[in-house]
Amino acid sequence: MAVTSDSRKPALIADNVHVVYRVFGGRKKAYRGAESRFRDAVEGAKKTRSAVTEIHAVRGISLVAHHGESIGIVGRNGAGKSTLLRALAGLIPPSQGHVHVDAQPSLLGVSAALMPSMTGEKNIMLGCLAMGLSLDEARERFDEIVEFSGIGEFVYLPMTAYSSGMQARLRFAISAAIVPDILMVDEALATGDRAFRAKSKEKFDEIREKAGTVFLVSHNPGSIEEHCDRAIWIDKGKIIADGTATDVMKEYTQAE
Amino acid sequence: MTSSSSHDDATSEELSALAHQHGLRPLGLRPRFGEYIRQIIERRSFLWHLARAKSASRHQNNYLGQLWLILNPLLLAGVYYLVFGIMLGTNRGVENFVGFLVVGIFIYVFIANTLTSAGDSILGNLPLIRALQFPRAVLPLQVVLSEAIILMPALGVMLVITAGSGEVPTWSWLLVLLALVITVLFNAGISFIAARAIQATRDLKNLLPLIVRLMRYVSGVFFLITSYGDSIPRAIALTLEYQPIAVYLTMFRSALLEEFAVDWTLWAVGLGWAMLFFTVGLIVFWRAEDRYGRD
Repeated sequence: MAVTSDSRKPALIADNVHVVYRVFGGRKKAYRGAESRFRDAVEGAKKTRSAVTEIHAVRGISLVAHHGESIGIVGRNGAGKSTLLRALAGLIPPSQGHVHVDAQPSLLGVSAALMPSMTGEKNIMLGCLAMGLSLDEARERFDEIVEFSGIGEFVYLPMTAYSSGMQARLRFAISAAIVPDILMVDEALATGDRAFRAKSKEKFDEIREKAGTVFLVSHNPGSIEEHCDRAIWIDKGKIIADGTATDVMKEYTQAE
Repeated sequence: MTSSSSHDDATSEELSALAHQHGLRPLGLRPRFGEYIRQIIERRSFLWHLARAKSASRHQNNYLGQLWLILNPLLLAGVYYLVFGIMLGTNRGVENFVGFLVVGIFIYVFIANTLTSAGDSILGNLPLIRALQFPRAVLPLQVVLSEAIILMPALGVMLVITAGSGEVPTWSWLLVLLALVITVLFNAGISFIAARAIQATRDLKNLLPLIVRLMRYVSGVFFLITSYGDSIPRAIALTLEYQPIAVYLTMFRSALLEEFAVDWTLWAVGLGWAMLFFTVGLIVFWRAEDRYGRD
């Protein structure tokens, strides 16, 4: 069996991972043409209860990621890429299946939502402390984070006063403050202007050199081919293809 | 072409065997209880800073800002004085009704606010939960701490009014600190339970205001429970007197008001309730640690 003969040390193993989450306040409806009045009446009556929809975002994904691998995850919007990444990072508990790791993965991304009503300064401190840094370490990295995000004196204003680009840059800068063994990046490299993208690519490469394993979610085929040596194509929560980045991306772009 | 990879056809057993062979640990499993407590202690600066930041941002959206932390309970005390002290005359059996009422309301509002915000501490922080890995017990605990921070200015006002209502400060006033520690411990317990219950069944959130109101009427916030002792069955009278919230109100009153003697049995009961609720709450919360953030 190939799995056991592979001599590289695995860093992360996903074993048949499913993620189902509930969404309140809306209901998926099949699009229908003409329908009977009776059915409409029944549907109407049901609506008095709050609508709850179960979304099966990830449907049985198994994969083995090794040290030194950088893996791109591609797929259309809503394919389950980001949910899978969160499940692999241990942030959304899988409803079925397991994830095994040899180090705590760290999700780096524009989605590291903090407290919008608070100042950038407080968000930096809280973000660092939440990631497990000590108070001294957090203070040490404060200037570096402000510098990297390039938000200047805005750091002392509440995040609600920020442009969306500034918010994203600050979040990226906060989550880039630690160098994890397993790094997961969600679309973050596409954030901000050209100068910031160049800076973040530098950071990404630096982390990739130190870190064992990198996951990168993107629907931009170019950035996957540029950054990754392996790619996994996901559609409707299932793996369609898994192989070298060049092969999978070729297949993916042809299918699109 | 379907791409080939080394593990496409690996079964679950093979994957777990591989994980085991290389010493990989399962992710997102609930840690053991002792380990969980260690993790919480490790994040104490996160907890403290989060609580401070949240309490500071509470009233930043109105002009009077933090002043509302004092104005709110003060106005409430005024309303209750008008309704229960003057119009309905529930002040029977109490000499210093102003002091009695102010202590009762300030402390009750403290407990009730903690419970109400703790109910939302998991569902209201989903983005944070889905972005960062930390023991989730930090979230209800942060509510408890930030409510305690918010109480401080109100507590000062409470002491001033109590002194103004004719009480002479004595050494027993220092017992307020002990009462506060015990109440905070109790608050943490009910916060864990509320956060867990509402995470499991979010509709329960609609019942919280009801519970808060019920407890306000039965806990002796604006009347003396013992003054009704003769007219109701003894079992009910004892329950009313020794249920935790009534006990905490009495503890604060006996520390501050001369007419209520400090009853150490009652303080022991208060501490017992606090430790019971804290332990049970923490265990109940910890048991679902691997489920927070799913929806």
